[in-house]
Amino acid sequence: MKRKSYSPHPQSGLNRREWMAVSAGAAAAVSLSGCGNTTPVPIPPSAVLIVRAPAYDQSLYDTVRQILLSHRLDVRGRNIVIKPNLVEFEPESSINTHPILVHAAYEAFRAMGAATVRIAEGPGHRRNTLDLADAAGYFKTVPRFEDIFTDLNLDDVTRVLPKRQFSRLQKMYLPNTALGADLLVSMPKMKTHHWVGATLSMKNLFGVVPSAVYGWPKNVLHWAGIDESIADLHAAFPRQFALVDGIVGMEGNGPIQGVPKHAGVLVAGRDPVAVDATCCRIMCIDPLKIGYLQLTADGKTSHMTERNILQTGESIAAVATPFALIPEFQRVRLERS
Amino acid sequence: MRGGSWTEPTVYAVMAALRSGEREAARRGLQWIVKAQRPDGGWAPRPEVDQSTWVTALVALLPEEHLKAGQHRQAIAWLMGTTGNESTPVYRLREWLLGNAIPPDQQFPGWPWVPGAAAWVGPTALAILALDQELRRNPQSKARRRWDEGRRFLLARMCQGGGWNHGSSHALGYESRPYPETTGMALAALRGVNAPPVYEALAVARRFLKECRSADALNWLRLGLRAHGQMPSDYCPPPDIACRTVPETSLDVLVSSAEASRESLWT
Repeated sequence: MKRKSYSPHPQSGLNRREWMAVSAGAAAAVSLSGCGNTTPVPIPPSAVLIVRAPAYDQSLYDTVRQILLSHRLDVRGRNIVIKPNLVEFEPESSINTHPILVHAAYEAFRAMGAATVRIAEGPGHRRNTLDLADAAGYFKTVPRFEDIFTDLNLDDVTRVLPKRQFSRLQKMYLPNTALGADLLVSMPKMKTHHWVGATLSMKNLFGVVPSAVYGWPKNVLHWAGIDESIADLHAAFPRQFALVDGIVGMEGNGPIQGVPKHAGVLVAGRDPVAVDATCCRIMCIDPLKIGYLQLTADGKTSHMTERNILQTGESIAAVATPFALIPEFQRVRLERS
Repeated sequence: MRGGSWTEPTVYAVMAALRSGEREAARRGLQWIVKAQRPDGGWAPRPEVDQSTWVTALVALLPEEHLKAGQHRQAIAWLMGTTGNESTPVYRLREWLLGNAIPPDQQFPGWPWVPGAAAWVGPTALAILALDQELRRNPQSKARRRWDEGRRFLLARMCQGGGWNHGSSHALGYESRPYPETTGMALAALRGVNAPPVYEALAVARRFLKECRSADALNWLRLGLRAHGQMPSDYCPPPDIACRTVPETSLDVLVSSAEASRESLWT
């Protein structure tokens, strides 16, 4: 059952009906804004694209390119940092973002004219990042991997004071490679998480926090509040794009000891909150019950309600795949599922 | 070379340079370390960070005579005053008021990566190695109690079946798996402990030594097995293992040289 079609046209991910909907909204916004100060201005929705991707194969190179083009990302002359989710030394498991997907994004950004594209990650449990990347298949899949990779755990850092502080952290030391990116591309695995319910593009930013400062694990973030720390990191990186690897995700006791779960989708968008909320709905998790989404959906630039998400491509109903939840998180199960 | 200096790689590089007789390189590294001490007696991961952390234990592993007068003592004092947040009186009082019993793996205080967070295996193992050295120099030191408690902390954090991961042996009823690098670190810190749990961990470490493909992990496994006289005499590191960082290269130099000379590494 397909609600909205995925446009393969390289200039737009929206079909005619969606363009009309967006245009009507924009026209209404313009017209209403002239009616007086008391009338609320309609908020532009966040576009999120869901694409079917049944397997990790060569077709992903074209699929990812089309996804990025459909979001009209102008990356010409820009510095792009791709942040996958690298956690453990288990290439056969579904813990890490698949290397072929990351390489597909790398090639797509290069083809779109980016000045530089780097892959960067700072794993939270294991110190030996390059060995971990090697075991996860990155050296085999990504040519010259070591030349284009930055270990964020060991990168130079800058002290950042949060603009709006959610956690108890009054300051954070963050890696210059990530802070200096014109676009930080969060590429997580679609997984359940035994502390926060679901780990997606926003939780993936824990990997930018440098372990050489905070340790393995980055336990300071837990003491400061996990949901709140995710919100702080989200605020620290305003120029993001999210591309979630939901081809084979993880259910149950994620993010490490869960069970592989085939969902066969990629989910993408500029608003990480909207992307993560959409992923939750695909996983049959209620995003309104996920703490960090509650904190970050400001209703202005970050949306989690369906009415404020312009969802294109496959419908949620068409790709919905219930992810098993541990007993402690049964409460976040989406009731309609 | 890109970027600024960090305390951890500098300390390991200085140790390797001292061991190999590279006196000028060691002198420059030591000069940087001496200057980087913070007013509270500890060291930060790098000078821009305004907090002393776990790297203080690494500095305390350097021979006392290579630091400025009093610096070594201050480093030990900083370690003695640092504990995981779950062991602080305030946290324990809060848990008592809430009616929560202390879990068995939180009975003994270890060391955190960063003050204000919980204790973990890595920083606890390094602090024990530093206090071990201190106790050899000064057997009457007050450090003995923390050294002993730290070792009990490690034993309480062992994974089911032997070995250690970062320090979370189970969560929400699930058992966690051990890692090679932290298993080696913990075994190095438990030198002289003869007990069945350690025998289990040694068996896990020997298995890791055969399978592991990480230079960092192999370095620590060699140190851990060697601390218990269990390093296979015919061991030969796999030829295609890459040392990819300064700590990995430096530790490899240190471990290989200690193995060749049959000397202890940090005594």
